Amino acid sequence: MKQRPAIKLQSLLPFIQARPLTDLAEADLTGCYISDLLSDVLANAQPGVLWVTIHTHRNVVSVASMKDIAAVLFSCGRKPEAAIIAEAVEKGILLLNTSLTTYEAAGKLWEAGLR
Amino acid sequence: MTSAPPAEQTLDTGEMRRVSFARVLVFELRVRDAMTSPPISAGPTDSLRSIQHLMKTHRISGVPILADDALVGIVSIEDIISALDKGYINEPAERWMSREIVTLRDHFSLVRAVAEFDRHGFGRFPVLDANNRLVGIMTRGDITACLMHHLERRAEEALAKEAVLVATRADNEKAQRVVIDTDVKSGDFDSAGKFSQRMREVLRARGIDPEIRRRAAIIAYEAETNIIIHSLGGRITASIDPDKACIEAVDRGPGIENVDLAMQEGWSTAGPLARELGFGAGMGLPNIKRCADEFTIQSELGSGTRLHAEVSLRKAGTSI
Repeated sequence: MKQRPAIKLQSLLPFIQARPLTDLAEADLTGCYISDLLSDVLANAQPGVLWVTIHTHRNVVSVASMKDIAAVLFSCGRKPEAAIIAEAVEKGILLLNTSLTTYEAAGKLWEAGLR
Repeated sequence: MTSAPPAEQTLDTGEMRRVSFARVLVFELRVRDAMTSPPISAGPTDSLRSIQHLMKTHRISGVPILADDALVGIVSIEDIISALDKGYINEPAERWMSREIVTLRDHFSLVRAVAEFDRHGFGRFPVLDANNRLVGIMTRGDITACLMHHLERRAEEALAKEAVLVATRADNEKAQRVVIDTDVKSGDFDSAGKFSQRMREVLRARGIDPEIRRRAAIIAYEAETNIIIHSLGGRITASIDPDKACIEAVDRGPGIENVDLAMQEGWSTAGPLARELGFGAGMGLPNIKRCADEFTIQSELGSGTRLHAEVSLRKAGTSI
């Protein structure tokens, strides 16, 4: 487990110009993981992180649920279908998106203190 | 270490149980359970000599004297010794027998019998039933033998009970096996993860550690997506026992050309559609292997692939 105190997802939104796709509630993030390979996320992501990806397929929700990932940020302005968003809500996974590229988003998140 | 070794602790509890058992037994058991029955008796006109022979033959130390089925006296080994000493061994019993007889009732508890032995100092008591009929004779030795016998029986019963409990628990655990399975269609990316989700729900309901749950889920998910991406279709099954989850994924082909290569991280034969969706990282099989406690894969070109993975559901370091 990370020693660093968890950071509030809400506090990051202004940095990455993110739009919530689900009700974001009070989410605490333990860190961040960036990958577009599902198996890589399955292998290496820690529970409670923010996952940044360009994929919007429903498998993203499955993988996030499996790894107890707190929230998924879709970069490059991508947005999943309504049915997938509904599925995420059902599984308790928060979704948001940004028009920033993954690289830009990563830089901003780092600056905002998400390590 | 300050704690006593487990073996000693078991022994201590065992002994304590025995003490309380013995206490219970002396109240529970009746004179009729411990007495020697039927008693060896003689008639009033029988000679002391014949009674001496009876004692010798039956290895007893006292013979009740009956007249018309009624207890009229008792001849003890001490009486015989006196008779031999004083030279009246050939005289009839009725002349020398003790007529003031203290008896026990067959319904007395053993604890009361012990009190009678202590009070009178006799070596034996004739035992009468409710109709004053002589039904047995009892010595202190009979009490001890009876207690030992019952203790042994209780101990055996306790052991048998324990064995039944252990067996029942094993049966229950077997009964607790949950098997979930589903057909997996080739290219059905939309269904990927549903099976894994179902399995995770079972594990969560069983209170399995989240980390173990996650490992089992990853195995099921990777195995499921492998069938979707690479095969002509197949079936995935998870058998969940209390101690482990077995995940088996079987497909109808085409089989893996080189299993060793497939096990290498980064090597993938996934097509463009799968890659577009984030699959085909070449990490599926290595992921499964890493998450599994037991892992085997058999594949034959043309006939298909069978993957078997097991995850122990007991947290490392916890026994039973």
